Amino acid sequence: MDAHIRKVYAPMTETGFYILLCLRETMHGYGIVQKVEALTRGEIKLSPGTMYGSLSKMEKDGLIRFVREEDKRKLYCITDLGTQVLELEMKRIERLYRTMKEVRENERQKN
Amino acid sequence: MNDKKIKFRFFTITQWKQEQEFLRQQHNDGWKFTRLDALICYHFEKCQPEDVVYQLDFNPDGRAHKTEYVRMFRDCGWEYLQDYTGYSYFRKAASEMDGDEEIFCDDSSRLDFMKRVFKGRIIPCIVVFFCVIIPQLLFQFHLNNSYGNILAGIFAALGIVYLVMFGTFAIQFLRYQKSIKY
Repeated sequence: MDAHIRKVYAPMTETGFYILLCLRETMHGYGIVQKVEALTRGEIKLSPGTMYGSLSKMEKDGLIRFVREEDKRKLYCITDLGTQVLELEMKRIERLYRTMKEVRENERQKN
Repeated sequence: MNDKKIKFRFFTITQWKQEQEFLRQQHNDGWKFTRLDALICYHFEKCQPEDVVYQLDFNPDGRAHKTEYVRMFRDCGWEYLQDYTGYSYFRKAASEMDGDEEIFCDDSSRLDFMKRVFKGRIIPCIVVFFCVIIPQLLFQFHLNNSYGNILAGIFAALGIVYLVMFGTFAIQFLRYQKSIKY
């Protein structure tokens, strides 16, 4: 993983994270929008401009690759590099979550 | 009854927000945007007043892969209107949204949008500014006749418009960059 990838994707945006999470299965951009909306119970609605820009950028950086076209929609899936980046980000989020839990637990015990 | 009209408006490259607001206001007043041509001619036709959000994107990659690009917006409920001077125009009725919706949903992609505008539009303007406007201004000024003075005045005015545009863009860009948090 080179310096550019680290700088841009560690940590990454929420949009970027959801794209990589979804693209462990082959999917098109709008499919990701729908899936994220369902996963977050409608809380996160990704916009097309953001989606299109993120997908092209991630494809250029080799995190995802174009698979085929279906009904004028481009289907993508994650690459090995993308998987590495996603795992790194998952570890970071897990650490954040664990630390937050511990800190709050300690505070509760003190009071 | 006249059910078509043309409005003349000039928006600089950095005024996409004002342009979006202008189109939204017109639709709210019952005038639906149909097309833009000749740089400043906005064509409208009469319609039911409705709150419709207009948005501009600037994406050379999207313009190169037009069908897939437009498809993504259409899937998300955005109607594609036209491309003009590098910008793509979209609209979506507020009644079809839950809450506020824009074509960009995070600051990082808004910043990327501005970077694309910078590369595609501002850099060419900087070249024109330094290679045409400034040399012409100095040249006409040195001729020192009334004709030259008028031209010098025109180039000076153009130069000021360009400087204001660069300044506005720089301020907007820095403000966005600052607002991005990790």
